[in-house]
Amino acid sequence: MRLTTKFTLWYFGIMLVVLLIGGAIVYYEIQWKISRVEVVRHQRLNDIIALQIREGGDYTAHPTRKRAAITLISQDSFPAGAASFYTRGTGWNPEFQSNEYKLVVTSFYTINGSHYRIMTYSFIPSFYQLLPGVVDSFKWILLLLLVLVVISGGLISKYILAPFKRTMRMIQSFDLKQKGSIHLPRTRTSEFRELNEFLTKMTDKAREDYQSLKEFTENASHELQTPTAIIRGKLDLLMESDIRDEQAILIAEMQNALERLSRIHSSLTLLTKLENQEYEAKEPVCISRLMREALNAFGELMEMKSLTVQTEIEDQVYVPLHASLADLLLSNLVSNAIRHNAPNMVAAAGIEPTAGQGMIFVSLNHEGLVIANTGREPQIPTAELFERFKKGNPGSDSIGIGLAIVRQICDLSHFDIIYEFSSGLHIVAISFQPRLSASKLLQNLSLPLQSTLQP
Amino acid sequence: MKVLIIEDNQELARNIHDFLGREGYICETSETLEGAKEKLGFFQYDCILLDIGLPDGNGISLLNLIRAEHKESNVLIISAKNALDDKIIGLEKGADDYITKPFHLAELHARIRAVYRRKNLGGASIVEFNEISLNTDTFEARINDTLLDTTPKEFDLLLYFLVNKNRVLSRQAIAAHLWGDYTDNLANFDFVYQHVKNLRRKISGAGGMDYISTVYGLGYKFNSHKQE
Repeated sequence: MRLTTKFTLWYFGIMLVVLLIGGAIVYYEIQWKISRVEVVRHQRLNDIIALQIREGGDYTAHPTRKRAAITLISQDSFPAGAASFYTRGTGWNPEFQSNEYKLVVTSFYTINGSHYRIMTYSFIPSFYQLLPGVVDSFKWILLLLLVLVVISGGLISKYILAPFKRTMRMIQSFDLKQKGSIHLPRTRTSEFRELNEFLTKMTDKAREDYQSLKEFTENASHELQTPTAIIRGKLDLLMESDIRDEQAILIAEMQNALERLSRIHSSLTLLTKLENQEYEAKEPVCISRLMREALNAFGELMEMKSLTVQTEIEDQVYVPLHASLADLLLSNLVSNAIRHNAPNMVAAAGIEPTAGQGMIFVSLNHEGLVIANTGREPQIPTAELFERFKKGNPGSDSIGIGLAIVRQICDLSHFDIIYEFSSGLHIVAISFQPRLSASKLLQNLSLPLQSTLQP
Repeated sequence: MKVLIIEDNQELARNIHDFLGREGYICETSETLEGAKEKLGFFQYDCILLDIGLPDGNGISLLNLIRAEHKESNVLIISAKNALDDKIIGLEKGADDYITKPFHLAELHARIRAVYRRKNLGGASIVEFNEISLNTDTFEARINDTLLDTTPKEFDLLLYFLVNKNRVLSRQAIAAHLWGDYTDNLANFDFVYQHVKNLRRKISGAGGMDYISTVYGLGYKFNSHKQE
């Protein structure tokens, strides 16, 4: 819910409460005031009648006596305290032939030694008759207020929150990689000023940290790669000198270790770079084309291992991914599928095995990518294969970082990825759609995939 | 061929110097940007190997000078930073190729030759040795006049051998050359073995001499002095 809407609703709620209480107050106030005025009028009337009695004379036809009752009372029933009181209640109005609200004011006088009780009455508007009027007027007031609050809320919040919105826009467009610090708009609101100061400080810190991390990565890469390059060069030169067989073996072993070292190093550097989000997808890349290229690049290897490849590649599938990353992702997956391929395992699923052949299945469409290959059952849970230096087969000479890179790329691009082993098939599924889970993708695809296994 | 090696690491520079020296290249080294500028002011080079991270500045800045005054020179950037930016900027500024440390010296040599072929030999991109001739434009390999049915990788491999004749090529170097970055996951040198085996079989099949021999424990060698 937007801030303005929230404020408006709260104001409206408060207004409603205030108006309800106010309505009650107004209602009772009017009610009291009407009675009060009437009572005072009647007291005056009673006084006039008392005066007339004191003066003597015939006033029976006088207009003052129209609704007056004068009673001579005894000393005992004459009240000691108040000289006057009033009562209210419904009474029959003969003039209008209806029950109406009746106010009776009774006053007591002692005139020439006699005690008089003078009662006058009149019919006043009932409070129940007033209520609709009160409610009505408050309804209009409420409506008016609501309209005003909504309009002014919109306008005022637009004006007051403008600096906040500008700050938000700036923050949204903030990029860790940008050179200068962010310039937030100046504002006179102290809270926003504080917020801006805080944000500027925080983003500056983040930028600095990012920068130093990046520098460290690059420096580490530089400083380690150079000595590695020197050793490698020296070994290359040493190989060509006159050496004995056992020396050759030693050199070969050093070469192997060096190869591993440099591969681990460059993979870790790559992972760090991925984590630093240094590869931004500038424009969508056609992954169909890259997939075909990757399969082509590995074509000879597949042939050597006598692998059968089955593909269902949709044309023109574009995904938001840096081209180098897309390339890396696909080649890692395809080379994994080749490396860890072992034939004949499809038989476990109860399907006719293609005589002694390993297979690779590739299915690519706009929803996602599924790569499956025949292979041995992994020794560890498949989900753990995404971790660094975890290998399904501990004896293999891979360094176990390829899938970690694959997952990192997927995480960066918000692709869901899963790794499953079932029916003798290693299956990696990647969903390109943010709302589509990779396992769902697999469900949709597992059927055609299984059927391709049928001879 | 005259080569200028601009590299601040003496050991690395010496490696390159020694390796290329054996090919009969005349190599000079410079450890600094200033020294390189001086040398470039006096001499012409066929090939310039340029390290990006130099003590007195970024090697990229030298590219402008090279491109302005040494149009004929080939420039190969050597960088430890496998940073994409460097690669793109370097190539945009007129470098001819880019190689990342740690590289195999044979690979560097192959790159130098490739760039040289591309630029200096015009359209005639034929690499020949005795009865073997490779056309790097059409990717056709011939033994005498018989066309060899090679796969792209086998062609690449043969070219690599021809450029690095009489050198021991380790399996790692061959794998790195054939598959580049992809070797990350393909440490399995069986593939190298397979490719070499197929290549030798094809050459012999077409009547060529089997120049390629196995070097015990290390890898392979193209032996140009081999006689029947």
